Amino acid sequence: MSLEIRFVMLSDPRYLPVVRGAIGPLAAAIGWDESDCRAITLALDEALANIIRHAYHNRTDGRIELECREVADGLEISLLDRGEPPDRSKICARAVACDQPGGLGTHIIKDVMDTVSYQATPEGNRFAATKRLRKTI
Amino acid sequence: MKILIRDAGAAKVVDVEGDVDLGTSPDLRRTLFETLLHAPKMALNLAAIRYIDSSGIATLLEVLKDSQRRNKQFVLFGLSPAVQQVFHLTHVIRIFQVFQTEEEALGSA
Repeated sequence: MSLEIRFVMLSDPRYLPVVRGAIGPLAAAIGWDESDCRAITLALDEALANIIRHAYHNRTDGRIELECREVADGLEISLLDRGEPPDRSKICARAVACDQPGGLGTHIIKDVMDTVSYQATPEGNRFAATKRLRKTI
Repeated sequence: MKILIRDAGAAKVVDVEGDVDLGTSPDLRRTLFETLLHAPKMALNLAAIRYIDSSGIATLLEVLKDSQRRNKQFVLFGLSPAVQQVFHLTHVIRIFQVFQTEEEALGSA
């Protein structure tokens, strides 16, 4: 039996601290150190913020379903929303290390997580990401 | 998030406490843009920030660009390891003038 966290939340930034408060301890329980736990928390927070800003255009009444699951070799994250599908041409389109303010979040997600995917499904837009726990002997 | 603005000679020091995220960064943005109008130099104290996301970093980039347009100085100090990690993840640490202490930040030219 592993640990799984599920949230169904509105696209309201007020709920972001609630999710952050849950994912950090989950990552720590799986085995990541403090720095990795912070990075994983940030990556999930950025993915949720992108849904709020871009899928729901800052509307606070959109539905977001979140699942974070411990798996044999790490963590799986899945988000589902019913907002506007992501514009793939804008994902990680920002040049790294430039002084432009936009587009930082998708770079963080890509750098922190091992796999990231965005998929349009009949249920809505699905974001999925995984991170493997690299055990040292 | 709590924001306190102090005078330090001709400069302004802005102390921020708490989480800077999608919900709170607009308040920080408004405060920093407004404060910058009233001093030639503004130092942002990040020591009491528990969490900052990319919207917070984007806010700081916007303020930096505005300070450059106005020929003013915008510097940062007191970055905790958690905040430094986000600056490194967003690859923007070298874009800012970053100091360890308030004294160093205010003494910089």
